Amino acid sequence: MTPTFSPFLPIMLLFLIALGVGAAILVVSGRILPGLLKPDNPQRAKLTPYECGAPPLQEGARHRYSVKFYLVAMLFILFDVEAAFLLPWAVQYKTHLWTFWAMLSFLATLLVGYIYAWGKGALDWER
Amino acid sequence: MAAINLDDSVMTTRLDSVVNWARKNSLWPLPFGTACCAIEFMSMMASRYDFSRFGAEALRFSPRQSDMLLVLGTITNKQAPVLRQIYAQMAEPKWVVAVGVCASSGGMYRTYATLQGIDRVVPVDVYVPGCPPRPEGMIFGVMELQKQISRESLSARKEHVEQFYRSLARQEELQQARGLSQYQVVREMVLEAGAQGGQRIW
Amino acid sequence: MVIERIEAQLPGAILDRHAFRGDETVTVAGASFLAVVDLLFGEGFQMLLDVTAVDLETPEFRFEVVYHLLNLASQARLRIKVPVADGAAQPSLTGRFKSADWAEREVFDLFGIPFEGHPNLTRLLMWEDFPGHPLRKDYPLDGGDPFCSNDIGASYSPEARSLNA
Repeated sequence: MTPTFSPFLPIMLLFLIALGVGAAILVVSGRILPGLLKPDNPQRAKLTPYECGAPPLQEGARHRYSVKFYLVAMLFILFDVEAAFLLPWAVQYKTHLWTFWAMLSFLATLLVGYIYAWGKGALDWER
Repeated sequence: MAAINLDDSVMTTRLDSVVNWARKNSLWPLPFGTACCAIEFMSMMASRYDFSRFGAEALRFSPRQSDMLLVLGTITNKQAPVLRQIYAQMAEPKWVVAVGVCASSGGMYRTYATLQGIDRVVPVDVYVPGCPPRPEGMIFGVMELQKQISRESLSARKEHVEQFYRSLARQEELQQARGLSQYQVVREMVLEAGAQGGQRIW
Repeated sequence: MVIERIEAQLPGAILDRHAFRGDETVTVAGASFLAVVDLLFGEGFQMLLDVTAVDLETPEFRFEVVYHLLNLASQARLRIKVPVADGAAQPSLTGRFKSADWAEREVFDLFGIPFEGHPNLTRLLMWEDFPGHPLRKDYPLDGGDPFCSNDIGASYSPEARSLNA
């Protein structure tokens, strides 16, 4: 009895060959050829940050920056996760009556947090 | 089975030739435009003279992303250390074309303020005279650079680049030692080199 | 005319005046300079176009600081020259005209004339530790660099002639 195999096996084989060829191209052109051909001359001055040729204004990029960026990022995460929860709910909210009210209570909780953030000035970029 | 004729589909060459051919036909310029020569450069980039025929369509105003520094215009003594820093930050292989007489020799500005030729502070491969040179002149200059590149050897180290980085280290040492600004140090190095008979500080 | 009014209100302020093809120039004594400028501001000369200087090296005074004023309403222009001795300071006009800021810095950089009351009197065109003041008549044009002169270029080739010969 001839062994049956999935009709998708050739496709996987082709996919693996494509991956292999791709990897080979990347390795040869990214590692092997440059290793042979590139002029390797790491100099301290060459590695300094580009500031249009002027002497550097400050030492490196590890300087202080305003906390408002952190605030915006945190608020974004919270409300983005809330939106992510809304998506599966939107598909099946009509199955039960109380599904709608459950989500509404969830949104109400987050709305309280939103009004608090607004009132505290977290959304006020200027400060 | 008939003999396979590969004459037209396979060519043999040397690695040097191929790499130099690739480098010379994809020279990405860094237009260091300070004065009128930059306007002629714009002319050269435009459709009538079309510099992008030479593979130089990609104008990169960053030393990290270009390999040919086109110095277009007058370089003052205050700008000299800036030019050195830009050249230092370029990745090799790199070439410098002094476009116009101001970059080549100081041009008509024989004064305390103008650097009398950028070859005093950075190594130069091609000089294109003119005030400003016509676009055809600049294209001829780049074609001369292409000829130079095709004669380059892959394995040979470029001595002028090494010398330049040593001069940069010397400049920084002097800055630390004398507590002067980079402008004054480079100016003093240039005057010292001139007084000793040579002209360049690298 | 404006200059007559100045003479009437501040006698002795104007040392000299002349006009050339519609250009009015007055030479004002240093002591009454600020009073003259205030008067002119009141007359409508509310735009300072430029501040520059000339190194004359005359025995009485060394520099002449030149101001250009414009009356936007009447489109009248006026040039004021103030004789300044070597080392003497000029009062700064930065309080009255914003444009005096960098213009006075340029004069300080290139001539060495200090301006009293300037918020940031540092070099503008040359670098901060540049020695000397280039536009003074005793400063060499080539700044001490012999390669600026034509003769050096001519020495590279024995057949080449100096263009000055």
